[in-house]
Parts: sequence; C-alpha cells; structure tokens
Amino acid sequence: MNERPEGNANDDFATKAKARFDESVARIDGATQSKLTRARHEALAELAAPRPAWAQWVPATGVAAAAVLAVVMWTGGPSVNDLAAPEVASDMEILLTEDSLEMLEDLEFYSWIDLDEELSTEPENHVG
Amino acid sequence: MNDCIAGFAVSCELPERTGVDTLQGEAKLNRFFAEVEKRALRIAEISIRDRDEALDLVQDAMIKLARRYADKPADELTPLFYRILQNRIRDWQRRQAVRNRVMVWFGKSGEDDDYDPVAAAPDTAGRSPDEELESYEAMAGLEVALAGLPGRQREAFMLRTFEGLDVAGTAAAMGVSEGSVKTHYSRAVHSLRETLGEHWQ
Repeated sequence: MNERPEGNANDDFATKAKARFDESVARIDGATQSKLTRARHEALAELAAPRPAWAQWVPATGVAAAAVLAVVMWTGGPSVNDLAAPEVASDMEILLTEDSLEMLEDLEFYSWIDLDEELSTEPENHVG
Repeated sequence: MNDCIAGFAVSCELPERTGVDTLQGEAKLNRFFAEVEKRALRIAEISIRDRDEALDLVQDAMIKLARRYADKPADELTPLFYRILQNRIRDWQRRQAVRNRVMVWFGKSGEDDDYDPVAAAPDTAGRSPDEELESYEAMAGLEVALAGLPGRQREAFMLRTFEGLDVAGTAAAMGVSEGSVKTHYSRAVHSLRETLGEHWQ
C-alpha cells in the first residue's frame, strides 16, 4: 500500500493544527477583542509619553533593592532552613534571572503606568 | 547604523523620536498590533492557561515594543514582539512555579481557580453546532497535547505553525539557533502526532 512520506504527514498535521488554531482565534469574543483594542491604544499612547526626569534613577534603585532582598533572603530568616537547598537556590535563580532584572529595570515604566491610571478619568482604559 | 537596528537585540534603547517619526511609527505599530494581537493572545493563553493573565502579558509586550522598538523595520517587528512576549510568558511561568511552591509550603493550594475551557470558550462564528463542537474539541485536544510538551518545543511549534514565522524568525523570537528551532519543531510535531493520533482532525 502507499505510505506517505513522513514529511508530508507532518505538513498535513501542521496544516490542520493551523486551521484549528485560526478557528479558535476567530471565536474570540467581543469583550476580549475590546480589551485587546484598549491594550493596543495604551501601547500606542506610549509612543508620545514623556519620561519623567526622576525615572532615570529608578532602574539602579530597583537593582539595588533586588540585591538587598537577595542578601536578606539568603542569610536571614528561619524559613530558609525549612526549605530544601536546591529549591532555595532555584528560587534565587528565578528572582535574579535576567528576565526579572529586566522587569526591575522597567520599574519606572510600570510606575508611569500606575501614575497614568491614577490620573486617568476613564476607568475603562485599563485591561484585565 | 545604530547597534539596535542590527539583529534582534531587545536590551538597547532607541534615540528620541520626532513628532513626524512618532506619527509614522504609531500608524505602523497600529497596523502591526491589529494584525497580530488575537493570535498573540491565543498563543499566550495556550502557554499559561489563563486568558486574563494572557491579556496582561500581551499588553506588556505591546507597550514594551512601542516604547523601545517602534522605529524598527516592519519585517523585524513580529520576531521582536514574540521574543518580548515569550520572555514575559517564561517569566510568568517561573514566578507561578515559585508561587505554587510557597502556597504548598503554607499548606494552601496554588490553584485557586482551575482553568475552565468551557467558560473561556468564545462565541461561535456562523457555523453549525456540530461543526463548532468538532472544531472546539479538536483545538482543546491540541491544547492539552501542547501543554504536555517541553516549553521550547511548544514555543517552536506555535511560532512556526500558528504565527507562521520562518525558521530564522522563530530563532530570533526564541533566542536560539536555527538548528535548535528545527530540532524543537520536529520533536514537537512528532510528539503531538503521537499523542493525538492519526485520526485527529
């Protein structure tokens, strides 16, 4: 009997998966679509948003705070002894991983979002 | 040439933009976001199994792209956007794992509310109930199978198949080599076909 090459079968599978995924995208409800639209507009508003002068100091402050937190967690607190060492090491890795530091570097950015939301008179501008 | 333009580096700042640049950048980004946002939401949702959290991650990725990379050429935006989004997803998953461990340590479950695919199911789009059910069940099965894959395989499959990125674009979005993308993608397809069976539609 004819047996299709593996590559063709993989391509067929990917085509079906893409079709099912696209159908699920098309089923996204109006409320979610509306939230996405607001998210997009908030992102576009970022293009024209001025950055406050004090914000230049926030990244350094955030990294310093993370370092202090790491030292405190590593050296102090009775709870550390109750955790298995590999898990503590793993959690420290997560807290100090590049992505987390990137989030800390973006603190001024999230502070700006919070400030902007507080000043906003339109509560529907918030997503989620 | 600015170092930020070369490649898909995601850690450098762009210079100040003029008013005209901002308007052009806004129009370009608006088109890009409108084109990609729903697929990005579904990809994030499949990755973390929570629509509200996925919305937040997509919004974060949009804002970071607008803030730092609005001046990038249009053809670089998709891999850049997904690189930011995938970083957000991985960061969320790691934090969630830590949170769950802490909750277990305090004697509480980290899963306050289980993901409910029926409640999260969106509206139909003019198809018969049988067709809708078949499509929904097939996608639900695929999502379960995707959840069982290693993270890198899932990323490679979704970026290549769902978003339609080529190997180079997927590699840029994932921050890995093209060879690694091919390996992850091939293993993902093999595992998914094995899990779902030949009759999966």
